[in-house]
Formats: sequence, structure tokens, C-alpha cells
Amino acid sequence: MLDQTSFVVDGLMVEGPDGARLCASVCDGCGTVYFPRPVSCRNPECSSKALQDRLLEGRGTLYSFTIQRYQPPALFRIDNWAPYALGLVELPEGIRVMGMLSGFDLDTIRIGERVKLVSECLFTDPERGRVMTYKFAPDISGRAPR
Amino acid sequence: MKPVYVLGVGAHPWGKWPQKPQVTLALDALRAAFADAGLGWQQVEGLVAASSRFEGGMGWGLHANEIVQTVSEQGIPCINVGGACAAGAIAVQTAWAMIASGQHEAVAVVGAERMPKGFIPRPPGSQDDIGDSDYLRWVAMGATNPAYWALEAQRRFHEFGTTPETLALAAVLMRNNAAGNPYARYREPLTVAEVLASPMVSDPLHLLQICPVSDGAAALLLGSERFLDRVARDPVQVAGCAVGSGQFGDPARRIPTIANNVLPGVAHTSEVVGAVQRALGMAGIGPGDVDILEMADNSAWHLLAWPELFGIVEPGQSDWMLAHGRYARDGDLALNPGGGFLSFGEATTAQAVLQVCELTWQLRGEAEGRQVSGAKVGLSAVLGLGANGGSVVLKR
Ligand SMILES: [Zn+2]
Repeated sequence: MLDQTSFVVDGLMVEGPDGARLCASVCDGCGTVYFPRPVSCRNPECSSKALQDRLLEGRGTLYSFTIQRYQPPALFRIDNWAPYALGLVELPEGIRVMGMLSGFDLDTIRIGERVKLVSECLFTDPERGRVMTYKFAPDISGRAPR
Repeated sequence: MKPVYVLGVGAHPWGKWPQKPQVTLALDALRAAFADAGLGWQQVEGLVAASSRFEGGMGWGLHANEIVQTVSEQGIPCINVGGACAAGAIAVQTAWAMIASGQHEAVAVVGAERMPKGFIPRPPGSQDDIGDSDYLRWVAMGATNPAYWALEAQRRFHEFGTTPETLALAAVLMRNNAAGNPYARYREPLTVAEVLASPMVSDPLHLLQICPVSDGAAALLLGSERFLDRVARDPVQVAGCAVGSGQFGDPARRIPTIANNVLPGVAHTSEVVGAVQRALGMAGIGPGDVDILEMADNSAWHLLAWPELFGIVEPGQSDWMLAHGRYARDGDLALNPGGGFLSFGEATTAQAVLQVCELTWQLRGEAEGRQVSGAKVGLSAVLGLGANGGSVVLKR
């Protein structure tokens, strides 16, 4: 089973031909984009609240970050634990999303950097194979977020 | 509506009390509050409990019922409120309304908590799927509570140029304030160097800038004018109290969610800001009239951010206020003069009740070892899981 991959939780993300995408929703009534997919639109001024699925490319800018110096409790499974960076990323859809950072030197992370979504293995499990989560990595393509 | 007064306050010191069940802590605090008022169970017409989800309450959050069944079976209404760390403020609001409506003359409020060791566990029965944010945040990224506060603090460094030293100074102020407070758990003075030498937990927050957890209990007796002539001191009035929930578009990084929609013009930490604004409005005063702010300092960052969010100072001004002693007990705004959560350790549901006790002691001039001189207006502010905000304004 070790050659199979799965995501850390169902409904979080997909891996397509163009790379990882976040599973989001958009409200037909007010246009609000939500991640993760909610039960209902939360906008108090919206009465339609009809949600459609949408995938997010996950390109944005780093709004803030921190370094987790202590290993989180056991619900968080990771192989080869070491301190890691968590980021808060501003997406052009009007959402700020938290996620682990990948490919950064922990000492030189800067707010405002452009980042893109990637999919990485958190841990390997005999039943589930390689278990993946999303992370944000430096976006060296130079393309400005839409 | 009828005016409501604080007739009596009492607390059990914060600490770790493995030999004392939660109901015993609650009874100690209630006994102290009744003695302070010079009244007893015979005069109490209702009990509102800020209910724990960790212990007691017959497993159903029935803490008020458990207390009266333990100590005085007198048929009074027992109301049990949830609200996580804001439950104490919601309990005060409930008791206030019971008296202000004219339905009752004296109602007691209690919050008592013994906190589990280590990280707060997820409640039983939660789903292990993407619909539960408190599952998602752990499995997808391992986001601890301090990580949420650290993201806010790091952003503040970027926006306002807050320095590690200033952030450390906030923790130092809390310990200085706690030094003479017999109810506080951590009373040893600290230096900026000691705070910065404590282990880094989640950059830029060090261990001594994050509130630990404790056991503790606090109680109040609120009453109508009828009891004023029986209370031998200057009355402290509940001039305002309010509860709020979150606004769509709030930019705060709310535990345990992993993402939020951000809209321009929506207040940061809107559940608390909304409650504070309503409580101040009810009292007919503005943020500049507040002498003492008792606020939930889950981290040192909160001490800088919240006075700005409430409009007491301008955005970014807290650094200067702190560095120039203006948040000290003899400053313009006494910030957590009893030491705050950083010096107590959080005993979740009891904490907001304790805030009102501390404001009462301060306004009466009875805050031995930590007194703010001449204070006339006190404001409390607390945030609870589930976008719960609560605020109380006391006046003498
Ligand atoms: Zn909508």
C-alpha cells in the first residue's frame, strides 16, 4: 500500500494535472468564496446562500507566519518532526488561509512574499500510504496573484 | 430597567488544587461573596453558573443545580450558561437581566474550574472529519492555540514595528501587578531579559508571554436597590453589560478555524469589540472614560492590541503607552492591575467572573497590594471559543 497516496482529511484538497487545488465553495447569492467548504454561506446580508463547489489555485501573499517550536499533540501526525513554519496567506478571493510553509529558511521568512500551493507528504501509514496535506511554498514564477 | 448593584464578591486563589473538587472551589467562592455582602443563601433568589465542560455539573453542565443540591435545596431557579472562556461574562449578563427586569432582587453568579493537564482535549463525540475545525487544524497543520496568537503578534511587528522587548514588557507588567495579589498564582517579579530568555514557543511568543492553565473559582452576588442599605460600603453599580458574537468579515485569526473571509471595515475580534461598545453605550460613557481595563490576556500580544481595538488608544499606540508606564496602576489606563491571565493562568469559565470581582475590589478601594487610586470606572472584556464576547462596566 506504500505506493498509494491519500489526503490528511477528505474534502480538503485535490491533486490535478496542474498541481494541488483547495476544495472551496462560492455562494451564488453574494459571490463569497469559502474554504473549507461550509454548510452554508455565512454572510448576514445574503439570503440566497446557494453554494457551488470551486477549486482554488492557492496563489497569494504571506500575511503573517510563526514557527512552531514544540511538537503539537498526537492528533497531528508527522514523520521526522522538526520545528516548522506556519503561514497565514492572503488569497485574491478575499480569504486568509493558514497552512504549513514549505521551502522557506526559518530565519528569513518575510511578510509579503508571494506563495503558491503545494501538496506534500506529512507521514506514511501502512493503511493509507503516503498521507498528504497542503502547504504554501515560495512562488518563484514571478506571476502576480490574480 | 431597575439598577443592579454588586453586593458581594469572592474568589478562591488560583493555583493547582488536586485535592479540592470543583464544587468545593465554587462553594468557597460563593461563601466569600455572601460574607462580603453580609447576606446568605436565604436572600439568594437565583444562581447562574458559568458551566465547565471539564468536570462536575453531573456531566451535563448543571453546575448551578449541583451547587444548590449540595448546599441549600431552596427551590430557586438554577441557570447554567455555556460560552467557554466567556461563560463568566454571559453569566453576569444573565443575572443582571434577572434583576434589572424586576423578576428577582438578588442573584448569585459563580464560575469554578479545574483545568485538565496539557493541551485542552477535544470534546467527546466530535466528528473526525473536515466539518470539525478543531480536528482539521490539528491533522492538516498542527496549529496550537499559541500559533494563532503568534500570527497576530508577528503581523503587529510588521505593521507597527512592535519589538520583542516591548512585547516582553507586557508580560513584565502583568507580573509586577500580580506581586501583591493573594489570588494570583504567579507572583514572582520578572524582567524583560527573563521573558526573552524563556523558551520560544511560537515565534515571536515566548513561554512567559502565553497564559498557562490553572484551577480557580470566583463568585458575585448581584442585587437590586432593596439591599443597598444592608451593604455597609459605597455601592458599585453594574452600569453596563453585554454579550456579543462574531461579525462576518472579521480579520481576527479565530481559534480553531483555519481560514476566514476578510472584509474591509469589520472590527478585529468583533465579538468582544461589539460587546464592549454595547456595554459602554449602556453605561453612557466612552472608551476614554475607562480607568481600569480587566481584559483576557491569553498572550502578551492581547495586552497591546485590545486597548486599541476598544478605542481607548489609537491603533499602534499601545507600545508607547506600555513603554512609558501609561498602562501601569498609576498610569492613564490601569491594565489588568491584579496581574491578568498571564499571572493567574486561565481557569476558563471562572475567569470573567474574577474580572468583575477584581474591578469591584478596585472601585471600592479594597484591592490590597495592587490598588489603583481613585478609580471610578472599570471595564471588563473577555473572548470565548465559538466567537463569544462579553463585557461588563462597573461604576462607583
Ligand atoms: Zn451568500
